Amino acid sequence: MNRSNNSHDAGSQDAAPQAGRNAGPGRLLVAVYAIFALAATARAAFQILTKFEHAPLAYLLSAFAAVVYIVATVGLARSGAGAYRVSVAAVGVEMVGVLAVGLFGLIDPAALPEDTVWSGFGSGYGYVPLVLPMIGLWWLYRHREDARR
Amino acid sequence: MSVDPLFLVGALVCLVSVVLCIGAAALKQGPNDLTILSAAAVELFLLVYGGASLLRLAGGQGIAGAAWEFWGYLLTALIIPVGAVWWSLMDRSRWSNIVLSAVGITVFVMLFRMEQIWDGANLL
Repeated sequence: MNRSNNSHDAGSQDAAPQAGRNAGPGRLLVAVYAIFALAATARAAFQILTKFEHAPLAYLLSAFAAVVYIVATVGLARSGAGAYRVSVAAVGVEMVGVLAVGLFGLIDPAALPEDTVWSGFGSGYGYVPLVLPMIGLWWLYRHREDARR
Repeated sequence: MSVDPLFLVGALVCLVSVVLCIGAAALKQGPNDLTILSAAAVELFLLVYGGASLLRLAGGQGIAGAAWEFWGYLLTALIIPVGAVWWSLMDRSRWSNIVLSAVGITVFVMLFRMEQIWDGANLL
């Protein structure tokens, strides 16, 4: 990993990122995000194409979650400061989303009658949607020097 | 309640693949023939499962749940091993084996859901 022993790393503006955010265990993170992007997209597409009138709000939320996962996957996979900011935004939205939808389901279960990836704090997916953004944010924090590259 | 024998075969294929891939990663090996072929075996199983499902439909059995959802799950599941094997050809580090092990885990969960949709009941 990059140890930031001096804050102004002189020669690193254009150098290829070495052992960074998207290498090693970071690749596993990208892979899990890719699986969730795929699963959420397929599920949202199925819900919207077959029974959109049934619960439009819940299905639009599913589609939104799918987009967030796709953006997060791309952001985590790519190098550079821009991709880093995109990852922080996407993973942050995901964290807020899973907490908000989970809490909302507890307060007013009737408002979102159909399940989304984020319902019940992601209980339908083994709570992975809840744990994943925590790991993602921690990983991004550990590689925060990428933001200045 | 009888369990579909094909489901047991699939669960076994996934389990063997996961054990091989995690084992290889634990031994600090990059993806090799064994781990890549085990992910390919999961793909092969899914193709057989899809074929068998078509035969069962042709033989007069129906999907209890939504047919759309069943085939959607199957098509999505078919993409996963292909993506992981492609990944393992790009990335020769041992983390690639962990990515390959995600194939067995994910496909097992999806197979479980497909069985639930087919039977229209909860397996648990």
